[in-house]
Amino acid sequence: MNNLLLKGVVAAAMLAASPVLAEFPSDDRVTIVVPYSAGGGFDTIVRTFAPAVEIALGTTVIPENVPGASGTRGGQAVSRAAADGYTIGIYNIPGLNVAELVGRDLGFDLASVTWIANLAQSNYAIAVAGDSPIQSVQDLCNLGRPIKLSDTGTNSTSSITSVIAFDILGCPIVNVTGYGGSNDTMIAVLRGEVDATLKPISSLARYTDTGDLRLIATLTEETVAEGVQNAVELGHPELAQFGLSRAIGGPADMPAEIVAILSAAFRTAAESEDVIMWAESTGTELNWLSPEDTTAMMADISEFYLQYQDLLK
Amino acid sequence: MGFDALFSASYEIVAGGNVLYLLAGILLGLCFGVIPGLGGTTALALLIPVTFNMEPLAAMYLAGGVMGATSFGGSITAILLNTPGTAPNAATTFDGYPLAQQGKAGLAIGASAAASALGGLIGLFTLLLFIPLAKKIVLSFGPSEFFLLTVLGLTAIAVSVRGKLLRGLIAGCVGLIFAFVGADAISGELRFTGGVGYLWDGIPLVPTLTGMFAISQMIELALKGGSVARQEAGNNPETMKVTGVWAGVKSVFTHWPVLLRGSLIGTIIGAIPGLGGTVASFLAYSSTVQTDKDPDSYGKGNIRGVIAPEAANNAKDGGSLIPTIAFGIPGSAETALFLGILVLHGIDPGPAILLYHEREIYGLIVALTASAVGASLLGLMMSRYLILITKVDVGVVVPVVIAISLTGVYVLEGRMADVLLTLVMGIVGYLMIRFDYPRLTLVIALVLGETAEKSLHQVQLISDNRVLAYMFDRPISVILIVATLLTFFLPMMRQVMARRKMIAE
Repeated sequence: MNNLLLKGVVAAAMLAASPVLAEFPSDDRVTIVVPYSAGGGFDTIVRTFAPAVEIALGTTVIPENVPGASGTRGGQAVSRAAADGYTIGIYNIPGLNVAELVGRDLGFDLASVTWIANLAQSNYAIAVAGDSPIQSVQDLCNLGRPIKLSDTGTNSTSSITSVIAFDILGCPIVNVTGYGGSNDTMIAVLRGEVDATLKPISSLARYTDTGDLRLIATLTEETVAEGVQNAVELGHPELAQFGLSRAIGGPADMPAEIVAILSAAFRTAAESEDVIMWAESTGTELNWLSPEDTTAMMADISEFYLQYQDLLK
Repeated sequence: MGFDALFSASYEIVAGGNVLYLLAGILLGLCFGVIPGLGGTTALALLIPVTFNMEPLAAMYLAGGVMGATSFGGSITAILLNTPGTAPNAATTFDGYPLAQQGKAGLAIGASAAASALGGLIGLFTLLLFIPLAKKIVLSFGPSEFFLLTVLGLTAIAVSVRGKLLRGLIAGCVGLIFAFVGADAISGELRFTGGVGYLWDGIPLVPTLTGMFAISQMIELALKGGSVARQEAGNNPETMKVTGVWAGVKSVFTHWPVLLRGSLIGTIIGAIPGLGGTVASFLAYSSTVQTDKDPDSYGKGNIRGVIAPEAANNAKDGGSLIPTIAFGIPGSAETALFLGILVLHGIDPGPAILLYHEREIYGLIVALTASAVGASLLGLMMSRYLILITKVDVGVVVPVVIAISLTGVYVLEGRMADVLLTLVMGIVGYLMIRFDYPRLTLVIALVLGETAEKSLHQVQLISDNRVLAYMFDRPISVILIVATLLTFFLPMMRQVMARRKMIAE
C-alpha cells in the first residue's frame, strides 16, 4: 500500500515538475471526436487511422462518437476541451463552412479551430443509371425540363455542390432530397425516379463497377475515367474545386509543438500499410496535408463558397 | 449458388473456435435485450472497436449472435414487468404482461422463446428463397411505397385500439406532432425546436420509448405496491411454481398460422429500410387481432398476442438482410452497424457485396439462425429463475429498473438531455396509463411520422406534384392502397355483419 502511494506521489511530482508539452505523448489517452454515429464515412476513416496513430504516438487513441445537431455537436465538444492535444476531432468540410455561410449557428467558431491534418479528399462525379439513354451532361441539360437529382439533405455537401455546379453549367435542377444515405440516393437513380445523382467518385465506384450506374462527367481537372468528360472538357474548370475533405482539428490555440507531433503521427498513419490497403480497397483518395496546408485549404474553401452565398441562401 | 457457401459457413461455425464468439454474442445480446433502453444497436456499436483485431468471419459470428438474441431478451422484461427491453418488444407487453399477472409467465416466456426461434428460422428461410430476387424487391420499393406503407401502419393503429378509437387517434396525433420536431428532412428548416439545439435532429426514439414504457410502468408499479404476479389470482405459494413453459412452447405449434403470418410480416417489413422491428411486431400483432374470431380476448392474456409480435421481431432480421444482399445497404439500424463492422475490415459494402463477400454474408446468416435458436434455448433454461422477478416486491424492482434504464439511455449517446427526456416521457406515459390513452400508438406515430412526411414530399418532387397519378401507375402502390382501405373498413364490415346476425336471430 505504502509502496503504491509512494509511486503515486512520485508520478504526480514528475507530472507537476515536467512541462506537459514536452512530455507529449504522455500516458493519457487521446480522444478523436467523430461528429456522426458509428459506421459512417467519418467514423470509418477515424477508426481506420486510429490504430496506426496509436502506434506513432505511443499512447491510447480512442475514437468517440458525438453525433447530433447535423454534425455540430462533435465540433462543440472539441471546442470546449482543453487545448492540450488530448481531445481532437474530425470535421465535415465543406459542409460546416457552408452551414456557417448561410447563417447557421454551429455552436463553435470554425475559424478558430486549430487545423492538424487533412486525411483524405474526394472529388465529385455525375452518374446516371447503367441503361439510361443519357450519355453526357449535354443530354441531361436537353431533357426539356429541370433535371431531377437525388440527395440526402439540403445541407449535405453533395447537395450544395449540385446546386452550385448545375447553376454554373446553366441547367435548372430539382434536387429531390431526404434520402437516408448516399447509397439510397444512388438506388433512387437505379429505380428511375430521378435522372442522375452527383456524388463523390469513391462512393459511385461501387455501383459503376457493377454496371448499375454509369459516369457521365467527373468534376476533376484531369480525366479519371476514359470517355467521361472532366471539368475542363465541360468548359468549366472551376468545377474541379468542389470536393469533400476529411480534416482533423482541435480546440483553439493549440501549442505548435503538440500540433506538430500529432500531425506527424497522422502522416505516419497515412503511410502505413494497413491504411493504404484500406484506402485501395474502398477507393478512398488519401491526401495528407500539413497543418499549414490544411489551414490554407480551409481558407480557400471558405473563400470559394463565399462567391455562391446568395445561391445557397 | 449460395448453398455451398451456406454449408461451409455452417461447418466453420462448428469447426473453429467461432462457436465461442457466437455464444459470447448470444449472452451479450440477451443482456442488452433485457435491459430497457439498451438494445442490439447499442451492443453492436459498443462491439465495433472490439472486433477491429478479429477475423472478419469471427466478427460476423459475434455480431450475428447479438442481433439474433436481443429481441428474445427484450421480450422477457416485456412479459414479466410490462417494460419492453427493446423497442420492438412493446407489442409483446399487451398480452404477455396480463399472462404474467395471472401467474402464467411461464406460458408466455415459453411461447415467446419458441416463436422467436421459429420466427428467426422462417425469416432466414424466406431470405434464402428471395436472394435471387433481392435486387428486384429493393428496386420495387420507392418513396411512393414507403409513404403508403406508413399510411397502412397508421391505419392499422387507428383501428386496432378497440373501443377507444378517439383516444387512439389523439395519442397518434401527438406522436405525429412529436415526429415533426426538428430539421425538415427535405428543406433542412428547423421546426418546433424552441431554440433548443437538442431538438435539431428531432425527438429521439429510444429515450421516448424507455420513458413511455419502462419509467411510466415503474411509477405505476410503485404506486400500486405488492408484486407483479397478483396474489388475488389465487396463487398460493404452492401453485406459484414455474409451470407452463412447455405448454407455451407447444402453443406456438398449435397456433402455427399466427406464427407464419407474424414471420412473413416481419420479413417483409424488415426488408424495407426505415420501418424497423417496432412497426413489424406491431403490424403482426394488430393483424392477428383483426383476423381473430374473438378480438376482444386480446389485451387480457391471449397467447397468440405473444406469438405474433415475437415471431415478427425475429423474422425481421432475415428480411433486413435483403437490401444488404442486393445493394449492400442496411435494412435496419443493426444491419447498418453490421456493415460498419465490414467496412472496418476493409470490405466495402455495395451492390457487389454478395459477389465478393459471400463468405461473410452467409456467415452472418448462419450466425443469426444459430443465435435465434440458441438464445431461446438459453432463455428456456433460465426461465425458472427469471420468472421469480414477478414475485419480488416492487420496492426492490422499481429502483433497480429505473437506475438501469436511465444508465442505459445515458450510455447510448452520453447525453444528459436524453436522461431528462426519458424522465419527462415517463411522466407523460404514466399520465397516459392513468387516463387510459394507448402509449404504443404515440410511439408508432413517432416512428412513422418522419418517413411518412419525407416520402410524401419526395413523391411530390418526383411526380411534379401529380402524386395520385404517380401512385396509381405503380402496381405495388396500388396493392398497398387496397390493403389500407381493407384494414380500415374490415372492422366496420364485421360489425355490420355481426349486427345483422343479431337481428336475424
